Amino acid sequence: MPEANSNPPPLVRMSGITKRFGPVTVLRDVQFECRAGEVHVLAGENGAGKSTLIKILAGVHTEFEGRLEINGSRGVAVIHQELSLIGSMSVADNIFLGRAPARAGFVCAARQEQDSRRWTAQLGLDIDVRQPVEKFPAAIQQLIEIAKALSQDARVIVMDEPTSALNAPEVARLFALIQSLKARGCAIIYITHKMEEIERIADRITVLRDGQWIGTAPAAELPAPKLIQWMVGRELGEQFPRRVPHSGGERLRLENFSVFPTGFSARPAVNQISLSARAGEVVGIGGLQGSGASELFLGLFGAYGSRTSGAAQMDGRPCRFASPRQAIGSGVALLTNDRKATGLVLSLSVAANATLAGLPALSPGGWRSPARERAAAEKMTGPMRLRAASLDAEAGTLSGGNQQKVALAKSLQTRPRLLLLDEPTRGIDVGAKREIYQLVDEWTAQGIAILLITSEMPELLTLSDRVIVLHRGRITAELARGQATPEAVLAAAMGQTTEEL
Amino acid sequence: MSKRFAQISSFLAVALLAGCNKSDSSDNAPVITKEGREVPGAARTYTVGMSQCNLGEPWRVQMNEDIRAAAAKHPELKVIFKDAQNDTLKQRSHVEEFVSSKVDLIIISPKEAQPLTEPVASAMDAGIPVIVLDRALLGDKYTCFIGADNKKIGKAAGQWIAKKLGGKGKVVELMGLMTSTPGQDRHTGFREGIAGTDIDVIFSADMKWLEPDARQEMESALARFDHIDLVYGHNDPGAHGAYLAAKAAGRDNIIFVGIDALPQEGVAYVQQGILDATFRYPTGGAEAVDTALKILNGQAQTVPKKIVLGTRLFDKSNIAQGGEALP
Amino acid sequence: MNDTADAARPPAWKTFLGSPGGRALLALVLVLAAGAAFNADGAFFKIGTHRDTLRQASVYGILACGMTLVIISGGIDLAVGSVVALTAVCAATMAIHWNWPAWEVVPASLAIGGACGTIAGFITAAWKVQPFIATLAMMVFARGLAKYASGGMKVSTAVQNADGTYHYVEVPTLFRVIDHRILGGNLSMVTVIFIICVALAWLALSRHRWGRYLYAIGGNEEAARLSGVPVVGAKVCAYAASGLFAAVAGLCQAAQEQQGDPEAGAGYELVAIAMVVIGGTSLMGGRGGIGLTLLGVLTIGYLDKILSINAVPEAGRLVLTGVIIVAAVMTQRRNRT
Repeated sequence: MPEANSNPPPLVRMSGITKRFGPVTVLRDVQFECRAGEVHVLAGENGAGKSTLIKILAGVHTEFEGRLEINGSRGVAVIHQELSLIGSMSVADNIFLGRAPARAGFVCAARQEQDSRRWTAQLGLDIDVRQPVEKFPAAIQQLIEIAKALSQDARVIVMDEPTSALNAPEVARLFALIQSLKARGCAIIYITHKMEEIERIADRITVLRDGQWIGTAPAAELPAPKLIQWMVGRELGEQFPRRVPHSGGERLRLENFSVFPTGFSARPAVNQISLSARAGEVVGIGGLQGSGASELFLGLFGAYGSRTSGAAQMDGRPCRFASPRQAIGSGVALLTNDRKATGLVLSLSVAANATLAGLPALSPGGWRSPARERAAAEKMTGPMRLRAASLDAEAGTLSGGNQQKVALAKSLQTRPRLLLLDEPTRGIDVGAKREIYQLVDEWTAQGIAILLITSEMPELLTLSDRVIVLHRGRITAELARGQATPEAVLAAAMGQTTEEL
Repeated sequence: MSKRFAQISSFLAVALLAGCNKSDSSDNAPVITKEGREVPGAARTYTVGMSQCNLGEPWRVQMNEDIRAAAAKHPELKVIFKDAQNDTLKQRSHVEEFVSSKVDLIIISPKEAQPLTEPVASAMDAGIPVIVLDRALLGDKYTCFIGADNKKIGKAAGQWIAKKLGGKGKVVELMGLMTSTPGQDRHTGFREGIAGTDIDVIFSADMKWLEPDARQEMESALARFDHIDLVYGHNDPGAHGAYLAAKAAGRDNIIFVGIDALPQEGVAYVQQGILDATFRYPTGGAEAVDTALKILNGQAQTVPKKIVLGTRLFDKSNIAQGGEALP
Repeated sequence: MNDTADAARPPAWKTFLGSPGGRALLALVLVLAAGAAFNADGAFFKIGTHRDTLRQASVYGILACGMTLVIISGGIDLAVGSVVALTAVCAATMAIHWNWPAWEVVPASLAIGGACGTIAGFITAAWKVQPFIATLAMMVFARGLAKYASGGMKVSTAVQNADGTYHYVEVPTLFRVIDHRILGGNLSMVTVIFIICVALAWLALSRHRWGRYLYAIGGNEEAARLSGVPVVGAKVCAYAASGLFAAVAGLCQAAQEQQGDPEAGAGYELVAIAMVVIGGTSLMGGRGGIGLTLLGVLTIGYLDKILSINAVPEAGRLVLTGVIIVAAVMTQRRNRT
């Protein structure tokens, strides 16, 4: 880990920051400072106050107590966890939104394109900057967001979970870019939940807990166990509970299953794969961006209608579903990888979201009873430690982690026999992750078969009884628990089949 | 693919329906000599192009009916009807189409004066006589204008009201669209008709020619005033709406007067005892056909430049005789 | 673990005032206060005035009930005004000219409105045409049908004989019943019908599965679909319901005019939309409710009445109504972050 420059002047200094929303104090007497040429990780569980602190830094919240000093006038660029790009506009337009190079009001499209291409190339992105952003997958969009922030040439750059949609090579490129920014004298404030990232790039780490500043230390002095202790305030015996494998009869069998999301004339996203899963088993699906894992789930779930081919059987009975409704009725549940776009209806309450998929069972003859719905919602969200008072709150007002819990509750409401989890712990803090792993354990004990997609290697390896690795729609490896090492999984994900390993 | 197809078909459906008009398209074949000139003379069919500004108002439907009925009596007349659906530009193209297909005469009931004056002038220049109905054009480049005088009708209504109330009483005036000439004329005419009497217009509101609006305004008047003698509506639907409001309120001794006197509407209301009087706003359709025949038969010099149609009063005393013509 | 990241909790009355319901209620209270201030020599305080205000607003209000369902599902229905005319013409023809009894006229009229709505709903939900366009097409189509079915003239109690003269028939019982007053002449029957429509719409939205589906579809259609919501079916039902409500409104319109006017209902869809929007239901879908629409109906209804009893000239009415609609919508927008 490169040593931070000895005592250069801080680019940012915040002291005594206190922020209240009505009667609730979100930040209490927090201090934070950040120097040029360092990567300063801001760590803390969900709800610790990290986003609020960043919003104060970025100037979104203008009313607060305490002092905020930013040296230099070039400001702060923030790369958000939830992307702020405009889907229907081109990449170039997005990168220069509001700052387009213009003459007398007319945008110089050529100049803008040229500049955008320069920034995206720096991130290793080889894309057509004239295409609308929505055509690109989430991972690429995140890199575009990063390019946008970098093009603002700010000296302080805040990155909030920037790698949540990136694969390993892309992460490596990003980190190399961060190193070059450091060398240029920028300060990077980095928010992440991933331990291995903190271990890799942090120079200093500041920990917030429950709105209070716990401490700031050089990374060398904060190994993982101690960092976790600072974050959760208690000793965590082991970070992930050990999974006791359960195994029952065969629940799911796919044979030569293919998925054609855009129609039979295009290339299939999932190409003739065969796999099986048993009751009580967790089958991990490993793969990088474009592997087809999410499309596999969606195709199996009936989201692409009849644009699938091959044989699918559940408990011995054929199960090629023509709609999500059919799938849910037959005992399949899906947790999507993008809770805001496809997982939740943010304008509805938590209870309404939690009961949405299971509504037919809760409303005999079509008539609903609010009391019955509340009870069902409480029953599902209770084990996930979602406060009851927020059952009527709009799902959109919840933090990311809580939203994920609501989405999970909705999936479980329908008493599925097969559960498809796509990135179940994305954007969730350590403590909540642990709870979800315990829940996975309980679900398998109940005999539910689980297919799990996750981009976090430790999670994949800990939870899965078996790992199947996909690369561009085909299976490149099937690894038993003992064989699954990070290297084996990564190699298979990048295309090396088991024969080549 | 099917999404695109569906979008295009529904767009086409809208366009088709919007463009659909009730035009009877029939071919017209005037007798033409080898030199290309038309030959007037006996025993030939005359083709008359009729452009109506819209067929949304029943009164205009009645006008077309009157023309059709009058023309039916003369088998040598063939009338082509076109509906401009209240679109001035469409009506312009009607005139141009009539000119290029060389009709013998044009009858037009224009939407607006200014934009249609020039096309009609061009038609006159091409040798086609033009009869203008109901709404006047600018200048005098047309053969004949036939229309009623709303001011006169309003004044007749005012005088009838003054006589009926014996020179004093409390009157509610429900006005038509006051941004239109008929509304303004029926209003000023009425005020002229009651000038000098002790008649007090206690409430006046713009009901835009619409019956539901008239009902609402009448309800407001009934709420405000305990004593109302008579309601003067600028058209029969308005007077009818006011009548229903008063009937529902149990206020039975109010007199109702309207204008238009369509046979199935205003005249029927008088016969049913709903209105006490209505004044015909003549369509001029029959007169237009008579005038057209005169022109086509070579008697154009006997046709005056402007024919002002008289009105007809229908009230309880003369309804059996089919009303009474007023000068 | 606490959820400090979730929104904070201010006092209850402040929450209410900031909510759409609170703001709609505030708008209504302000309009009523204006009525009390400009009461036209006490006319505003008469019970008859309130009865008449409700009567006048009822037809629009019935349309607004169906419009609420459609708007919550993320769509819009521009055809309702034309369906009012179509049903008015058909109902008048059936009841006056063909002498059908009420128990045949009513279902037939409802079927006509429902069919129009179902067709428009199918075009937008199954063929994925934008609701604006699909219902615009239906608006033109239904208006054309109304004119065709009526021959361009009003269908009234004056029936033409073969020789061109007219004979007069009685106003049918159905129409007389609808245009009747109850409770000692203090409540119009159409208002009762309106209240029944409000109750039915409320039941659907708040107590039926289908209502929840509409909210989900309007809030996030893809998430709803992936949660097993039958999106196409629910949407078609919403437009069908809007057509049914429009048919009810058409019956009330015909009864109150004692005739079927093919020009009726022109512009009514915009009034219905204004009532829904002023009430606080979002045009983007996913939020709102019947209670809010009821407040919107009353607000616009009373505003109309106050302008009417004070004999405010037409130009002034249009300007004032426009300003108030914009003001009401803007105060709602501040609530949304």
